[in-house]
Amino acid sequence: MEFKVSHTTSYDYDSGVTFCHNIATLKPKTMVGQTLLDYDLEISPKPSEITERLDFFGNTITRFSIQQHHKKLKVTAKSIIERNYKLEPNIEDSETGKTITLNEALSILKTNNKEFIDIKQFILESIFIAQISPEVKAYAEKSFKPNRPVFEAAFELMQRIFTEFKFDSEFSTIATPIQEVIKAKKGVCQDFAQIAIACVRSMGLPARYVSGYIETLPPPGKEKLVGTDASHAWFSVYIPKFGWVDFDPTNNQIPKNQHITVSWGRDYYDVPPLKGVVYSTGKNKMNVAVDIRPA
Amino acid sequence: MPIDKNILFENYFSDFKNYDEVLKSNMSVNPNWEKLLNNLTQMGNETMISKQNEMDWLMDENGVTYNVYNDPKGMHRSWQLNIVPFLIHEKEWETIDRGMQQRSELLNLTLKDIYGKRELIKNGIIPLEVIYAHRGFLRQCDQIQYKTAKNLLIHSADLARGPDGRMWVVNDRTQAPSGMGYALENRYATSRILPDVFNDIHVKPPTSFFSDFNKMLLDAAPQNKENPNIVILTPGPLNETYFEHAYLSSFLGYPLVAGNDLVVRDGKVWMKSLKELKQVDVILRRVDDVFMDPLELREDSYLGVAGLLDVVREQQVTIVNPIGSGILENSGLIPFMNAVCKYFFKEDLILPQIGSWWCGQKKERDYVLENLTNLVLKRIDKSNRESIVFCEFLKKTELENLKKEIIENPFVFVAQEKIMFSTAPDFVKDKLEPRKVMCRTFSIAKDDGYSVMPGGLVRVAAEREDLFVSNHRGGVSKDFWVVTDKPQTNIQNYSWDNSFKISISGINDLPSNTAENLYWSGRYLGRALVTARYLRTVLNKMSNEQYNKQKEQSESLVCLLKSITHITSTFPGFIGEKGKAALDNPLKEILSILVDSDRAGSFAQTLSSFNNSYYTLRNLWSKDMWRVFDGIQKNWKMFVAEADEKTTIQSMVKILDKIITRLIAFMGLIEESILVEQGLLLYFIGLQTEQSMMSIAKCRSLLVISYNEQPQYEILEALLSSHESLNIYRYSYRSHLSTENVIGLILLGQEYPKSLTYQLKRIQKDIDRLPHPEGLGETTDCQKFITEAHTIIQNLNLESLLELKEGTIIRQNLDDALTVLSDLLHEMSLAISDTYFNHSYQQKQLVNQNFDL
Repeated sequence: MEFKVSHTTSYDYDSGVTFCHNIATLKPKTMVGQTLLDYDLEISPKPSEITERLDFFGNTITRFSIQQHHKKLKVTAKSIIERNYKLEPNIEDSETGKTITLNEALSILKTNNKEFIDIKQFILESIFIAQISPEVKAYAEKSFKPNRPVFEAAFELMQRIFTEFKFDSEFSTIATPIQEVIKAKKGVCQDFAQIAIACVRSMGLPARYVSGYIETLPPPGKEKLVGTDASHAWFSVYIPKFGWVDFDPTNNQIPKNQHITVSWGRDYYDVPPLKGVVYSTGKNKMNVAVDIRPA
Repeated sequence: MPIDKNILFENYFSDFKNYDEVLKSNMSVNPNWEKLLNNLTQMGNETMISKQNEMDWLMDENGVTYNVYNDPKGMHRSWQLNIVPFLIHEKEWETIDRGMQQRSELLNLTLKDIYGKRELIKNGIIPLEVIYAHRGFLRQCDQIQYKTAKNLLIHSADLARGPDGRMWVVNDRTQAPSGMGYALENRYATSRILPDVFNDIHVKPPTSFFSDFNKMLLDAAPQNKENPNIVILTPGPLNETYFEHAYLSSFLGYPLVAGNDLVVRDGKVWMKSLKELKQVDVILRRVDDVFMDPLELREDSYLGVAGLLDVVREQQVTIVNPIGSGILENSGLIPFMNAVCKYFFKEDLILPQIGSWWCGQKKERDYVLENLTNLVLKRIDKSNRESIVFCEFLKKTELENLKKEIIENPFVFVAQEKIMFSTAPDFVKDKLEPRKVMCRTFSIAKDDGYSVMPGGLVRVAAEREDLFVSNHRGGVSKDFWVVTDKPQTNIQNYSWDNSFKISISGINDLPSNTAENLYWSGRYLGRALVTARYLRTVLNKMSNEQYNKQKEQSESLVCLLKSITHITSTFPGFIGEKGKAALDNPLKEILSILVDSDRAGSFAQTLSSFNNSYYTLRNLWSKDMWRVFDGIQKNWKMFVAEADEKTTIQSMVKILDKIITRLIAFMGLIEESILVEQGLLLYFIGLQTEQSMMSIAKCRSLLVISYNEQPQYEILEALLSSHESLNIYRYSYRSHLSTENVIGLILLGQEYPKSLTYQLKRIQKDIDRLPHPEGLGETTDCQKFITEAHTIIQNLNLESLLELKEGTIIRQNLDDALTVLSDLLHEMSLAISDTYFNHSYQQKQLVNQNFDL
């Protein structure tokens, strides 16, 4: 299936900006089951410098700076992606993957295997997911049992977050600590993903944060409106002897073709779509519009 | 030497528990120390006491300070240097020197590996979590390549002598190690105060080390330039070791800059200078890793430069040490260092390390949990004293909680054995006492290895039995000698061959931040002096009237009191309805204007603003200036501490006398210590501008209203005396005081340097000498405003100024003219800020997020 994604972020500055430095993490990955066919990053005003490189986690990041005075910054990432989740290994088809228990997983991860280096870092604390509270751990322990398969437990965790947490875009900001989210049991996709990651890590298992898009389908019979989509986030658990398995706790499903992966990291901190430092005296207003449709 | 004969050692051993550097357990003296002890004994107790006092005084006078965070008394705390040096013989030092070289190289290779191939982790030499769970592992720095011979360019290690008699490594400092400047100043002070203590002892000088240091900085430039542009980046005057940043800046001759002096554009780092942006090649930084780049690292940091890391990546600038080197400040590495040493060098570590157990391994963790009370617990990424737990002092519940924490998050904890480090004699009050010592050593990268400073910085525990030694608690330091049997040359010569250094760059290259501080130093200094003189004049006048025992305050005194409020802008003061109470008790109001530092416009506030701008510039000032500055501080502090409602006119006049004299001495010193190209021009412009503004304010409140003969006379006399112009008036006019002549002298005098006309002319001349930034047209706004002011004053007509407005006693034309001039000076000052100190654009995050990295 082919998708056309357009992701626009714009900033309006009250009193203008003399110059700015920015980093964008907007380029979708090419990986098994997902191919980036075309990609274009439009920035206005035109940056005086722009470079692209891979970050520590293998995501493509674009760094640019604008040295002329401007009152509006507009960044649009346009991608065409071919998605075929059937090419990905399916955990349902893997008897070992499906049945490996928490205890087994932990003891496999303990072995000194060079391949685990990049994986084991996702067990550790990260910037936004640090000092995991006993409350988070207790929440995780309801699903994760020593002799229960990891996959089953993670699936249940996803379901529990979906049913027990309320989607509330007013409640949290990117800086809301997970401790507050678990208490209030509300937030947005990014909070749910980070809560899940904290739970999985509290069990000693690797979990990573996945940033991307989800195609929303219009109500039957109606045409899809532009701008109803948004950037999305979910989590992924490493199951030894199988590999990474994605879970979307906001939509209670294992991602298939509707999910498009842009980047991953330890948490949101590693992969914000756009960040930067501006030199200005006034306030700014941000606006984001995402549109995904079959190409 | 038999010890019982030495009075200095009386009771030295009374509660002796530890290994001592000097006294062996059989009560004999370590032969390496004999000569030093002889020299001290020769000096005698009395002399030692007075020498220690002299040393404290010198450190104070030279402004050697160490700020302590979160300590109200902590700002600019005096650095303390004990007169008894610490020494090590060259024979032992050779091992330490080799040990340091080995360790520096080892850490260098480790750093390269951690941000490169990570073979140490892949081969199981270092556990993954020791690196990945450490907050100093900055993934943004992964795979960055450097052109320098080594990745680790400066390394510092704290050493202490363990129970086995060897020097052990306690800590490594690799981000921005402090202490070199203090070590240098310690040596300077010791040789100045105690030349005799060196008698017959050969101490190795640090000369060639500092020469290597300078060479390292020059060679670090990525483009191999002849004259690379090197700057020293400081977090600012609030930082605990700001003294040292400024000290190294003047010692090495490189400009001291703050984050907002630098900017990243076109893939390079630039320094904002008065004329233009100037490319920077090397940054010697005293800012910690995560604060260096708000774009990629801590986003709320104002201490770094946005976009810097990418410039490093593109090899357009070198940071010393590279960003990310904080990963080596890692007590979790200690247990694995010997294995790392074997891996790279196939040999053992030369310097032993403090016994450490990393809790990420089961066996070690179990040991730690079992023996916790006997251990010291640290986080692998925090080595400051505040986050070290001495478990022996913990209550049972605290211990249990700590154990839980370790089990929850084992990777970040390291336990270390409790060690009784050796003591060395410290001169306390009037005798020697054994005190624990810690030696900070330094090494600098060279092409073929590392150059180790002979000696370093020795810090002494504050109390007899203190467990830990840290500057944070305001400890005492010692000069650190490496003694040799071979005679050394030039022991007291600490400069090196300067011939290859860049000659002083002109005013064009003055960092704009420095320029701004110089300008404001001038403004505040001018304001302080004029205010002090004016208050003194009025106080003297009050004193005379009391002497005359007049019942009512004279008309002239009321006028003078009210003018204080106008000149200092401390409304309501003596003005209006609210001012009546103040007029009844004028002394109370004047005292408040003097000492109330919370009151806008007060003298205390002006002095403190002056202190601040002055302190940020300390790398420019000479030692004499410090002494005078210090004198102002001390006198003032003493006065403020004692000031209350009983403070008399006389004591206020006395303190103002003292301060005025010192301010004038200070101004004289500024003019002879700093070159115009170094920024003196900015100071002059600030000073003249402030003095002109104050003159205008004085004239407006004293000359605009026409009084009767007697009060008029007294007011004119006060005006001239506060202006220090009474004698000149008498000399020039040899006549009775008249408003006409006074205006003629202090406003319109063409040749009189204190007249407003003369001052405006001078400001105009100085502003014309400032660099002319591109794109601002023929003349800058600063030039336009000052030229207009100067033209106006030259065309003023004395007779018209004296005219009274019909039916009033107001000289309206005078008031109008002064108002216009005052406004123009104000506009000019704003234009100077806009043109030359453009910091008006604030750095902001696109998205606000503040969190710890």
